Amino acid sequence: MHHRRSFVMALAIVTVIALAVAGSHGQQAPSGEYKIGVLQPLTGPLAVQGKLHLEGYEIMRDLINSQFGGVMGKKLVFAVGDGPDPTAVASEATRLATREGVKIITGTFSSTLCGAASEAASRQNAIYWETSCVDPRFTRRNLKNVFRTEIDGTGFGWYNIEFIAKHLAHRLGKKPNELRIAYLSEDSSYGQSVTESARQRAKQEFGMQEVAPPEYYTFTTNDLTPIILKLKNTNPDILHHIARDQDAILFWRQAREQNFQVKAVVHAGATGYGTPGFGKAFGNDANGPFALLEPGPGLIIEKFRPEGQRVERAFREAVKAKTGSDVLTGGHQLAGGGLWILKLALDAAKTDDLDKFRAAVLSLDLPVGSGVNGWGVKFDEAGQNSNARVQHYMLQWQNGSLVTVWPEEFTTNRAKWIPLGPWDQRK
Amino acid sequence: MPLAQLIASTLLLGGIYALIAVGLTLIFGVMRVVNFAHGEFLMLAMYVAFWSFSLLHADPYLTLIVSLPLFFAVGWLSYSVVMRPIIHTSHNVQVFTTVGLSIVLQNVALVLWTADARFLRTDYYAVALRFAGAVFNWAQLVAFAVAVLLTAALFAFMRWTYTGKVMRATAQDRQAAALMGIDTNRVYAITWAVGIACVGAAGVLLAPIYPVYPTAGLQFVLIAYVAVVLGGLGDMAGALIAALVVAAVEVIGSYVVGTAWKEVLYLLLFIGILVVRPAGLFGQRGAEAFGS
Repeated sequence: MHHRRSFVMALAIVTVIALAVAGSHGQQAPSGEYKIGVLQPLTGPLAVQGKLHLEGYEIMRDLINSQFGGVMGKKLVFAVGDGPDPTAVASEATRLATREGVKIITGTFSSTLCGAASEAASRQNAIYWETSCVDPRFTRRNLKNVFRTEIDGTGFGWYNIEFIAKHLAHRLGKKPNELRIAYLSEDSSYGQSVTESARQRAKQEFGMQEVAPPEYYTFTTNDLTPIILKLKNTNPDILHHIARDQDAILFWRQAREQNFQVKAVVHAGATGYGTPGFGKAFGNDANGPFALLEPGPGLIIEKFRPEGQRVERAFREAVKAKTGSDVLTGGHQLAGGGLWILKLALDAAKTDDLDKFRAAVLSLDLPVGSGVNGWGVKFDEAGQNSNARVQHYMLQWQNGSLVTVWPEEFTTNRAKWIPLGPWDQRK
Repeated sequence: MPLAQLIASTLLLGGIYALIAVGLTLIFGVMRVVNFAHGEFLMLAMYVAFWSFSLLHADPYLTLIVSLPLFFAVGWLSYSVVMRPIIHTSHNVQVFTTVGLSIVLQNVALVLWTADARFLRTDYYAVALRFAGAVFNWAQLVAFAVAVLLTAALFAFMRWTYTGKVMRATAQDRQAAALMGIDTNRVYAITWAVGIACVGAAGVLLAPIYPVYPTAGLQFVLIAYVAVVLGGLGDMAGALIAALVVAAVEVIGSYVVGTAWKEVLYLLLFIGILVVRPAGLFGQRGAEAFGS
């Protein structure tokens, strides 16, 4: 009898402790499994970024399962597919939906892949959840099954002009409508969509002056001197330059040779000036240009909302545990941030039935600072998350590193070299 | 119009194209093989310069001395393993083989060094000479000088050395050359190896000017093909002049009409010249059928 009472007491204590521990995380342990498809280019020329995105998904998946109660109370698991090109990615999307039986597919990061993958998913009546590809056409096809958590190319243009009008203009001692802008871009759909949306907003909302029609070039061009000579003639205050890869390095070297002086250079995206390769190429000589990206060094996480702080910290710790690095890559941030919003949507919908899921996604309304990267959520009817909610950050090359400089309330760093001085004095 | 700078840019860019085109035209001129892997050998040489500089702190101009015998050996090896078994087969087989070699080399580079663009930043990367109102990048000036020297050296080699004469004899009539006791396989091996050594030198000289990545060769080699055909297949001086013509159209067209039009402009010129002179500016009519 005495033993039985002791056993009951011990059981009660253990139960109370277990409940307290579970309560401290605010979640119950997931039971059962919920499988989604993950599509990334894991072979071929896009594989480097594809693998980073997959790693970001895996880190966030493990975090969701271990600390945030899984999705819809179940453990989240992946069926992974490799889609190195549009044909392969469409075929893999079909396989994931038909053979693996998934109702939701997420991927594919690249604008060359997301269209084909989402069309294939749509044919199988599966939900397609894009976390990175920025082609504006993705959400303009009246497909009810597609959603995108990241802003599109036009959103990048929107943010660049926001930064120029609301930060650079007063730092340069000018009103936005006094600024003279030159537009230069590589000629992909990404470059053109960012440039055209920036032009439109700059002119219509802020009355900025365009010094010449935009100049588009193939990113594999071998000489940018003729363009630089034309830019020198137009004498702009700001150069809005969307570069792809090595063209940023070529432009910067030749601009220096030609002593092309401009007050600021603004880029968007994890290409061109937004790649680590640009800093490695020039070291301190890279100082000055801005790149719109996910948050980098200098971010003040305490400025996020409490729920955003919690998931951001947990994600950063998990990435560091996995990679050993304090600095997150864009691939990790986009994949992690996008998968987190999918978890919120599934938890709200409690089902993967397309109509109910879509209704739940469209009713999500979370302010900036609520999630990973400080993102908020507000999807439109096309399935696109809102520009203003998907908070983006302006980073600047400072002494060999890209550091966060804007919005100033989110960062400890401040933008330097405004206006850009002579080439040898940007130290 | 900043005419002096446009002329300077034309000379410097044309020098780069010529540097790549001379090896290509040599291989085509003697072997009648269009080497679709030429750009990938260029890319490998750029990586050799990059890693020599990054790991051993070797200046690219020092690496240039090593790269010539190194890429001659690479050329000899690739001929023995890949080209020799198919040298007497149809053009289709040769095209597929060199395209296959190109894809293999690109993907090996991708696996070994990732897709990241890497730039060899020497202390003098930003050094530019100013002359007559134009700016000349130092590394590009060296590349231009080497292009002229290399073309002249190859021209002299083909014209006045015994090996050069043997190579020309083989180019003119492979069967007659064999009947005269010339070891045509050995001639082809030398030709291929010299062509690859030339592009090896080009790659090392380009490394301080352009970033290197696994598909870096593609952006140069298409224009090199245009220069080779425009100059006349197998004609080295023709390739040099055609490279300068293509560069002039590209640079001046970019400035006057717009950069988006530059490919349209030089390809229109290319088509126009071939309509009037099917053998190219300096080529002999029917050169493409020689040696077969």
